Amino acid sequence: MKIAVVGKGGSGKTTTSGTLARLLAQQGRQVIALDCDSNPNLGLSLGLSLEETERLAAVRQALDDEETEHAPTVTEMLVRFGTTAPDGVRLVVVTKIEEVKPG
Amino acid sequence: MLDSSPDATVQPTASVAQAVRPLRLAMVGKGGVGKSALCGTLARLFARRGHRVLALDVDTMPGLAFSLGLSPDRVGDAGMPEDLAERVPEKGWVLKEGVEVAALVQAHALIAPDGVRFLQLGKLPNRVKPGSTVAFRAVMEDFREEGWTLIGDLAAGTRQPFFGWSDFAEAILLVVEPSAKSTLSARRLAKLAYKTVSADQTDKLNLVKRTPLGIVANKVRSAEDVRRIEQALSGYNLPLLASIPYDPQLAQAEQDYHAPIDVAPNSPAVLALRELAERLEQWVDERPQIRRTL
Repeated sequence: MKIAVVGKGGSGKTTTSGTLARLLAQQGRQVIALDCDSNPNLGLSLGLSLEETERLAAVRQALDDEETEHAPTVTEMLVRFGTTAPDGVRLVVVTKIEEVKPG
Repeated sequence: MLDSSPDATVQPTASVAQAVRPLRLAMVGKGGVGKSALCGTLARLFARRGHRVLALDVDTMPGLAFSLGLSPDRVGDAGMPEDLAERVPEKGWVLKEGVEVAALVQAHALIAPDGVRFLQLGKLPNRVKPGSTVAFRAVMEDFREEGWTLIGDLAAGTRQPFFGWSDFAEAILLVVEPSAKSTLSARRLAKLAYKTVSADQTDKLNLVKRTPLGIVANKVRSAEDVRRIEQALSGYNLPLLASIPYDPQLAQAEQDYHAPIDVAPNSPAVLALRELAERLEQWVDERPQIRRTL
């Protein structure tokens, strides 16, 4: 199944998503948690460390800074932009690319 | 911690009102940390201190309007008519030729209590348009009428809140609550601020002085909360401008679509914000290198 969580900032999207992902994994499902937020904090709610959460954000940021290239396949994306959280949840940071250059 | 001035609760005098210099401020921070509540309250406080205030909501969520004390049924009108903007090749969304920004504010800003003018940015009436944020950025950059204090409630998150404001704001308030997610987001924003400002800067020392970023700790319940926030942001050399206590009256005001300053004018949080307003006037004056000229 595919679940999306939306809502206003600060209403608890990330906490809800992270906890749902862990609970579904504990039921024996294979779970991929996608962090689509431009401010990716889902790692923290999944139980990852601050350092690992920041590492993933930095890998994603490197794309915007043109220091790295897009993953050519989905599998490679899961590897390069992802990490394994407790209960085997695979977290991937997939914030959409935006044109953010000033001017 | 901050010094608290003994006369912080004294009402502003006429001489204060005459002496005010306009300020340009922006609020950034993670969603839900209280940017809108603080922004709306500060706007009202500056107005009471004699500023002519234009409050700009750059978020597509209409939170600031309520915190200013505008009623929900008026908020839908707080946008700019879309036919005033147009899309120009290579420039994106801009105001149409001949549209005067001052006249636009006159015609389309809502008037909140204490005379605060309010414009909803990032949204045109009845629909959200991605280009309108850019159009409104142009509004802000073109806002040349002197004497206005501008205060912007920027979109939540860390992706693009500084663009268009970094060369403009004299103080950018990084609002942080003592949660892991909020402090992590604040660190990303601090990093982004330095990067944005440093784009064409080589002098590192000067860069630190020129970055008008200061911390506002919000929803603080203990000294430990403040310490945690300062620790998370240590290394960025940012001043702690205010520590706003956690205040259930503010949460209640938000739930009821009311302005904190109307519902709880003497609450600890509003009193702390009053001190912050005074402090901001001083802070900007003490740092001539960040006084922006339009």
